Amino acid sequence: MSLLNQGLHEYNSMANDKKYWVGLEELHETKEFQESSKNEFTQSSLSVDDFLSETDLNKTSTNRRDFLKFLGFSVTAATIAACETPVINSIPYVNKPEEITPGVPTYYASTYFDGTDYGSLVVKTREGRPIFIKGNKKHGINNGALTSRINSSVLSLYDNARLKNPRIEGDDATWDEVDRNISEKLDAIAEAGKEITLLTGTIISPSTQSAITEFKKKYGEDKVNVVTYDSISQYGIRKSHEISFGKAMIPHFDFSKAKVIVSVAADFMDNWLMHTQYVPQYAKNRNPQSDWMSKHYQFETRLSLTGSNADVRVPVKASQQGMVLLALHNEVAKRTGGNQESVSTDGLPMKRIAAAADDLFQNRGKSLVVAGSNNAHEQVIVNSINAMLGNYGNTISTEVETFIKQGNDAEVLELTTKMKSGRVGALLIAGDINPSYSLPYADDFNSALEKVELTVSFAGKADETASKCGFICPDNHYLESWNDYYPVTGHYALAQPTINRLFNTRQFQESLLKWSGNNTSYHDYVKNVWQEYTSSMGDEGFLFDDFWYNALRNGSVSVKVPKSEWSPEMNSDALRQAVSKVKSASPKSGEFEVVLHTKVGIGDGSHATNPWLQELPDPISKVTWDNYIAMNPADAEEKGFKLHLGQELPASLAKVTVKGKSLELPVVPQPGQKRGTVSIALGYGRGANGENIGKSAFRTGNYGGYDKDENGNKIPIGKNAYPLVVFEDEGANYNLTGATIEPASGTYAIATTQIQHTLMGRDSVVKETSFSFFKSAPKEAYNKPHELSVHEDGETVKKNVDDIDLWAQHPVEGVGHRWGMSIDLSTCIGCSACVTACHSENNVPVVGKDEIRRGRDMHWLRIDRYYSSEMDLEKGEDQDLGVIDTYREMEVPEYENPTTVFMPMMCQHCNHAPCETVCPVAATTHSNEGLNQMTYNRCIGTRYCANNCPFKVRRFNWFNYKAYDKFAEVNPSQDAVARMVLNPDVTVRSRGVMEKCSMCVQRIQAGKLDAKMKGEPLEDGAIITACAEACPTNAISFGDLNDAKSQIRDDEADKRTYHALAEVGVKPSMSYKLKVRNA
Amino acid sequence: MHKEAAIREPLILGDKTYHDITADVVGPIENKAPRAWYILITIAGLISLWGLGCIVYLIATGIGVWGLNKTVGWAWDITNFVWWVGIGHAGTLISAVLLLFRQKWRMAINRSAEAMTIFAVMMAALFPGIHMGRIWLAYFVFPLPNTFGSLWVNFNSPLLWDVFAISTYFSVSLVFWYIGLIPDFATIRDRMTKPLAKKIYGLLSFGWSGKAKNWTRFEEVSLVLAGLATPLVFSVHSIVSMDFATSVIPGWHTTIFPPYFVSGAVFSGFAMVLTLLLIMRKVMKLENYITIKHVEYMNIVIIVTGSIVGVAYITELFISWYSGVEYESYAFINRFSGPYFWAYWAMMTCNVVSPQLFWFKKIRTNLTATFILSIVVNIGMWFERFVIIVTSLHRDYVPSSWSMFYPTWVDIGIFIGTIGIFFTLFLLFARFFPVLALNELKSILRVSGEKYKKEDH
Repeated sequence: MSLLNQGLHEYNSMANDKKYWVGLEELHETKEFQESSKNEFTQSSLSVDDFLSETDLNKTSTNRRDFLKFLGFSVTAATIAACETPVINSIPYVNKPEEITPGVPTYYASTYFDGTDYGSLVVKTREGRPIFIKGNKKHGINNGALTSRINSSVLSLYDNARLKNPRIEGDDATWDEVDRNISEKLDAIAEAGKEITLLTGTIISPSTQSAITEFKKKYGEDKVNVVTYDSISQYGIRKSHEISFGKAMIPHFDFSKAKVIVSVAADFMDNWLMHTQYVPQYAKNRNPQSDWMSKHYQFETRLSLTGSNADVRVPVKASQQGMVLLALHNEVAKRTGGNQESVSTDGLPMKRIAAAADDLFQNRGKSLVVAGSNNAHEQVIVNSINAMLGNYGNTISTEVETFIKQGNDAEVLELTTKMKSGRVGALLIAGDINPSYSLPYADDFNSALEKVELTVSFAGKADETASKCGFICPDNHYLESWNDYYPVTGHYALAQPTINRLFNTRQFQESLLKWSGNNTSYHDYVKNVWQEYTSSMGDEGFLFDDFWYNALRNGSVSVKVPKSEWSPEMNSDALRQAVSKVKSASPKSGEFEVVLHTKVGIGDGSHATNPWLQELPDPISKVTWDNYIAMNPADAEEKGFKLHLGQELPASLAKVTVKGKSLELPVVPQPGQKRGTVSIALGYGRGANGENIGKSAFRTGNYGGYDKDENGNKIPIGKNAYPLVVFEDEGANYNLTGATIEPASGTYAIATTQIQHTLMGRDSVVKETSFSFFKSAPKEAYNKPHELSVHEDGETVKKNVDDIDLWAQHPVEGVGHRWGMSIDLSTCIGCSACVTACHSENNVPVVGKDEIRRGRDMHWLRIDRYYSSEMDLEKGEDQDLGVIDTYREMEVPEYENPTTVFMPMMCQHCNHAPCETVCPVAATTHSNEGLNQMTYNRCIGTRYCANNCPFKVRRFNWFNYKAYDKFAEVNPSQDAVARMVLNPDVTVRSRGVMEKCSMCVQRIQAGKLDAKMKGEPLEDGAIITACAEACPTNAISFGDLNDAKSQIRDDEADKRTYHALAEVGVKPSMSYKLKVRNA
Repeated sequence: MHKEAAIREPLILGDKTYHDITADVVGPIENKAPRAWYILITIAGLISLWGLGCIVYLIATGIGVWGLNKTVGWAWDITNFVWWVGIGHAGTLISAVLLLFRQKWRMAINRSAEAMTIFAVMMAALFPGIHMGRIWLAYFVFPLPNTFGSLWVNFNSPLLWDVFAISTYFSVSLVFWYIGLIPDFATIRDRMTKPLAKKIYGLLSFGWSGKAKNWTRFEEVSLVLAGLATPLVFSVHSIVSMDFATSVIPGWHTTIFPPYFVSGAVFSGFAMVLTLLLIMRKVMKLENYITIKHVEYMNIVIIVTGSIVGVAYITELFISWYSGVEYESYAFINRFSGPYFWAYWAMMTCNVVSPQLFWFKKIRTNLTATFILSIVVNIGMWFERFVIIVTSLHRDYVPSSWSMFYPTWVDIGIFIGTIGIFFTLFLLFARFFPVLALNELKSILRVSGEKYKKEDH
């Protein structure tokens, strides 16, 4: 032990004695070494510091080591800088809100109403952002039907032009300042005995009404005057019921009960009254496989969406519409034994009118006559016809009223006079109307506005009206608001916010309440109103909270319809008077008649700043980004206007003059437009004085940026046609006579998505037949399968193309899922709601007018519209025309009255996809679920696939739409706020890659995952594509073809089903059901 | 040695000696270039710069700067591609096929024809590159091993076949051309006095010493490469034609395309060779080597191939009617009577009618007429590709998508630019490379120059 210790000690002392030295300096302990060892860093001063502190670079010295340091630092710095990725701060929730899970959408039921469109809807939100709007199929009066305007309204939420703060005289202010100022002024005005006028759109909200009542109470019932104004007036129909039955109201029409529908210029599929309700009702009876199919007659001037779907469409002049109604009245009276009025039937399509009357009479009580006219007297005749046919109480409800369109044209006119006289002290203008833009006498109104002491606008943007008001108290977007609605008798709906206010805005009603001295939030207010209402029903055991949350979850609630207080007894004097008025209003002289209407996308103009809607092709003309003079091609030819438009072929410009007012617009030849008439869309020419109403409301140039006029101002899109509207018979008249049209100098580029308008006799693209033939003939007669001659066993046999295959089948039949879609051409009305739904779901870029004109629209889903042609190959042969001339004439649509067919077209997900075989890098491949899928990452952009697509549905990213300057004004993804609308489940595609319909693969994946999590097999209908969801007529069905019980299996086996271009042998997964007309 | 009848006209005129040949060919390389060369290369250079500028703009901005649209996804890009590939056909045909057939007259023209081939194929290869939406990912078309799992190229795609066909053709042509150049580079090296030039030509000639062993190997390699290149002459354009033939688009989906495209390619290639040689023989005073005889022979090839092309056009028309397929027949009716009828008739006139003029000996031996017609044929062949590509695409199955194609200044700029680049390369070739295969030419001088033999021995 001791020995060991000793050894260890020795070892240790040995180690301690040993001395290690770094250099000879240390060994010898030189003076320099001793000095320098005191200093840890050998250099007394660091030359880097020298270098950095020295301003005169010539004096610095950089030695080799420093040089290497600099070099090392610079290289590392440069490298790190190059690697830097943008820092995105994502802050996790401290407490996760119960209902929000990142990556999982949340849905809220809500309601849309803007004066034109009404709909119960469901809002899809992701991470607290509303990104998609769909119809509420379970609740509400519209059966889930929405228009493209409604489903695009989610984008308007993120409009960067929305006011971020309230404004006083054009400057941002705080709400306190605004409230103080306005309250003071209102008090002063009320004291001075001047009138306080509230100018609003139609209000169908009980709580808003109640808030207005409070406001009235505060400032005196007699002083506060409420004027209701609709930009597009349907005052005549309400008035006509007052004349006919003594009650100003609009009854509820039930198109689903009507076997015969006669519409005289009522565009009930797009803009006439409660159209979102009528469309699904109408579609219900358009299934040719049921015992009967409704028959739809349309007498109209312009080719409307409704007219293009009619079984019998008769073009009549706008000025003849009253006479057509009278003639129809007589024909019906002849059959029912009613009183006939003496009318001259000169120039009227009497044969068609008589046929319509026959059908109406045979289906009396199950028929419906409607008219689009805003002339109360013409509507009185309609009422009389319906009354004769016994439609009241059947197709026209005597109990349920429709409360929209309460605008009173006479009162609005009177208001301007009052304002001029200075009697109006304060004018409060609600945000959903824009009278400075949409009043025909807007100039008059604007100058009258200056005479009003206090002008307050509640518009969300500094639009034409708001920018002229002293105060702007920006209203919330409807997706940020609480509200309730009472659209028809017995039906209450709720709107709830789906996102916190984006900007410092306040709800209109809340402002009113505040000024009335009521500080409750509007949410509580609405709840109170509902509570009061329900308690008034006197049910003791009623649990309000249950009721409220139930209503909130469903978005609406239906209650018992109270008994009506009127009877459909025609006032015969009223009829006689109306008849004499209509007769006296015989067509005036003048070369042309002008019909003013609204378009499917833009509506009354409130959607003009929505790029999705500007880019949405009009269902009929297929023109985007403009309004124009639609003229019959025969008239256009006569007047020497250009007939072929699109791409590099511009339109002729013309000047329309009506009653001293004129407009210069491009002329678009429109088959089906009654000769001698033209039609012009309202809702364009917004922001004519450069008001900041939104990026995409102005014309953009060919290389991006805005087009500017000679004064350097931005040019609005299209021209404002509202000034042409005239006030006659106490109401706005949109049908004008005595117009002259003269050519103007220059041409104008028109952006259209379709240049060829006829089908060229290609019946394997679109198949159609008549109802009687469909009912009587076998399938082979109307849905002829395509057969090819095949050499088999030494002889030639005819074989169905579906049975011939060059390729091996994809092993998808009976294995796993196989997605398919079926589109019913009979019920597709071409409304284009699916197009915008697809746009919104799939982050489809907006490319602007110039790119559309170049034929580069990006729509994954488009609606092809074909007109009939007078020529076909057989006729050409009979007439010995020769094949060249025959084809040339087949390119020309029928000018007078073509039949129209709509065909939604998107990727057909071919099972033998020609695109898949040609891609050199396998970027487009077939999934084992039958989908034709695009792998954007792999795509190198040869466009070979697009060339080889027989349906031409592939869309190429010609530019970097999300960053290239040209699209800064139009593409929402280039705007910091609008970008929030993008669907996080779908990639925003980069430049140079191909894209196309994916059959909403993100929804399929989500649906499958959902089923997997639940551990249940996927239910039919659990997954639905955006287009199918948006279709108001349920014309699109989607499902799993391998699911034996699925709807799509029945659709696929249907006798009307065919595959487009079957003979090419690409075996699409999409099928169409041929169109059946009840003609 | 190859024997020729004494009565046969000699292939090289003007009583040339071996030395004369060397002097005539190497002279222009040794001497200062004429002014005309500088002027021409300046013009060509400026045009190429313009073209390159357009290409940079295209790649920086996007394919949208071209006039393409959703319906017409290919237009001038692929038209130019096929046109240049077609032009690139004559060189290999002349050197390989004519070599195998022992056509001695090819020796005067094969060098420049091959150079033209190389440059034309380079121009052609440019277009499939720049027509891609994402050219920076062009390497995706190569079956490279990668980390993406089982990701592989799509061997079904004719575009992929193109990648292989063009790259093989280009490399074989380049090697063939270069092998032929080696002895000539050695000759230049031996004559060069400037040290740098001597060094460069020395490197280029790979240490050629002119030994019998060198010559044997040279002959063997030439023959093997000719054997390899011959099928390529037919394969390249057959495969290019399959880009169209295997598709489903009426007007593209045609089994006649491979032979039709090959003959069209030979047709346009010879026309381009004529265009270039007629200028070159004049400028470089090579009239004794590239004789009227050569021009006449080439014109005869043009008549033959032009007629084949004509037959193909008419066959196509007939089949479109005979098939009874409405899309097919409409595609062709639309070609000759639709909005692009002018392109169709330009093609017909230039390619079918104009070469028939060469049946007249007077015309086919007239240099001016030949020069004009060779350009006409080249224009016609460009239109042929334009007609096939654009008129088939612009009106295919679904009428709603029918549209027109309008070129933009970038489309035009790039096409003109490639012509500029092509001529720049060719001018550089003419300045620094032996434009005639001088060593090979000497072999036919001995055979055909009987007079020279008699006098000297």
